[in-house]
Amino acid sequence: MSRSKMFKLSAVAGTLLLAGTAAVAAPKVQGIGNAISDADIKPWDISVFFDGENLPAGQGSVKEGEPIYQAKCAMCHGEFGEGARGYPKMLGGTMEEFHHAAQHGEDNVGIRGVNNMWGHAPTLYDYIRRAMPFFAPQSLNDNESYATTCYVLYLAEVIDDEKTVCNADVLKKIKMPAQDNYVTDNRPDTNSKRCMKDCYQGEPVVKGMAVIGDVAVGAVKKRNEAEEGKPAGH
Amino acid sequence: MSETMIKEQSPAVAVGSEGVASEGRRKFLRKSMAVAGGAALAAGAGAGAAVAAPLAIPPTNKVLGRGVVSVPYGMPSKFEAHVVRRNVEWLTADTIASISFTPLQDLNGIITPNGLHFERYHSGAVDIDPATHRLVIHGMVSKPMIFTVEDLKRFPSHTGIWFLECPANGAMEWRGVQMNSLQFTHGMISCAEWTGVKLTDLMEYCGVSKDATWLYGEGADGSALQRSIPLPGAKDQFGKPIPDADSIYKDIIIAYAQNGEALRPEQGYPIRIIVPGCEANVSVKYLRRIKFTNKPLVTYQETRHYTDVLPDGKARQFSLINETNSVITTPCPDYKLNGKGFHEIRGLAWSGRGKIKGVDISVDGGKNWAPAKLVEPVMSKCMTRFTFPWDWNGQEALIMSRATDETGFVQPTLAQLRKVRGTESIYHKNSIQVWKVEANGEVKNVQIENV
Repeated sequence: MSRSKMFKLSAVAGTLLLAGTAAVAAPKVQGIGNAISDADIKPWDISVFFDGENLPAGQGSVKEGEPIYQAKCAMCHGEFGEGARGYPKMLGGTMEEFHHAAQHGEDNVGIRGVNNMWGHAPTLYDYIRRAMPFFAPQSLNDNESYATTCYVLYLAEVIDDEKTVCNADVLKKIKMPAQDNYVTDNRPDTNSKRCMKDCYQGEPVVKGMAVIGDVAVGAVKKRNEAEEGKPAGH
Repeated sequence: MSETMIKEQSPAVAVGSEGVASEGRRKFLRKSMAVAGGAALAAGAGAGAAVAAPLAIPPTNKVLGRGVVSVPYGMPSKFEAHVVRRNVEWLTADTIASISFTPLQDLNGIITPNGLHFERYHSGAVDIDPATHRLVIHGMVSKPMIFTVEDLKRFPSHTGIWFLECPANGAMEWRGVQMNSLQFTHGMISCAEWTGVKLTDLMEYCGVSKDATWLYGEGADGSALQRSIPLPGAKDQFGKPIPDADSIYKDIIIAYAQNGEALRPEQGYPIRIIVPGCEANVSVKYLRRIKFTNKPLVTYQETRHYTDVLPDGKARQFSLINETNSVITTPCPDYKLNGKGFHEIRGLAWSGRGKIKGVDISVDGGKNWAPAKLVEPVMSKCMTRFTFPWDWNGQEALIMSRATDETGFVQPTLAQLRKVRGTESIYHKNSIQVWKVEANGEVKNVQIENV
């Protein structure tokens, strides 16, 4: 093809392209990614809802859960679920103690557990199966996860009978002590005003000199007192 | 600082002579100078002496510097080595399920450099090969889809500069002062330019049902972290509507870029959700799956954690928005104030509900306030800088900033916040921070109890 012909052809193409751009809206987004079937998604679709939807078949008992828990969980959560080395308790304060602490400005953070701050048993199963044990997540099979959940609920005094066998139906029927203790976001709940002048009478009561965290000297100072007010593993 | 400077500059006295022999000669010369110069020079070995002496030629004027690509991925100056993320050892049981803090005291902008973005892991950071990573979108959709990272990059791209803040920012201060450092009182926040695919584009592409009122995202890390995110019409497990459900989803992107480069592994490489304005926990990292549903999961992160225990003993759930907050970053406890006279008070303000409308400054413990200047750009759900000129008289001062956002929400004092939240809620502590400037220039973290 001669050079002049080539030039003419490109000129025509250019005109068409310009005309197309002017006349038509942005092209439809299409042709990206691939369809996938529910069957192929299944191995990833492990999330269990609060009402127990998507709990798998299978079962596990308190008795079967005990050796799993003691071997793989107790080093962090305590032999009796009391917590260890700064990791969360399974058995926290009773609902009464939990409320009392919150209502009287006492330490409520340190007494939290499965029995006072977990709304639904099926999501305990979900969490154990997806993220526990901490050092080997997703290493428990469905039945082992039922057994471990069952034993944790027993340690947390949510299940009384040590002969309990947990499965989807049993977990759905359990009423957790904290189930009705949740309220949904109702903020804004503060009502600060933009005062500019003479905003209050008297002197400010200034409290507290920080005891740790002084990085100005180049190092984080270790805390040298009891670990009160610690937001454990938030 | 000045001692370091003198050490760095002293070789310039004997410029050009680098051998062992010349070292001996230099020492001899210095000795004679000291003797000849007498007591005045010897005593004035500080900054004053440098002023009196003729300026030394900086050694860097007399050498060749490094060539290009000697550092293929550039790093900050070695003199900035103290500007790093830090953690607080006693705060968490290990460093795998833990958090680090951004050094806000050393930053002068709204963009957090990627290496300084705070980290929050539930099972540690993982290294994911983008070539094998996949995102699945399914549930209440007409076309369940699977995408590669390259696929996602073909969608129209969307960019925003938004802050990410852990709702536990400030959590250690509910009961009283614990941290004498801006890095630790407010460093669970960072702000970056995020680029990715709009959630609403993906919703259209996959044909999300009109009946879908929630979605959840799930990560590909060891925690397989999952969080429920409301869509219009979202209700909780009791049937109560979720506030802000009509607006939260509109800004959401699936991000693959952070300040122009790929996400860092610490921030969820290769892809993560970004939910602007909301507690950062819902911006699921290492995103592998999104499912559209008509109810929330009420998962671990929505029942045991990220719920706020109130003074009546109830736990507040789905408190997603990070409300208006601000802090003075200069002065701050991490650095001593250097002499009375002019200082510019500087700081950062942000709101999960939109733009910052104004910031007021008090230097008298909150009795009187004056507006600070907002530094452009001022953007929605983004950090905003503010400045305020201050003539420090060298006496004690209680300095504070108070932000107002475009919805009219005014940042509360700690006393106001404690009145409605008590001290046990861990999350969403957005009260006015008070720094006490002492006469010697030291700055302390304090709290005002009564107002």
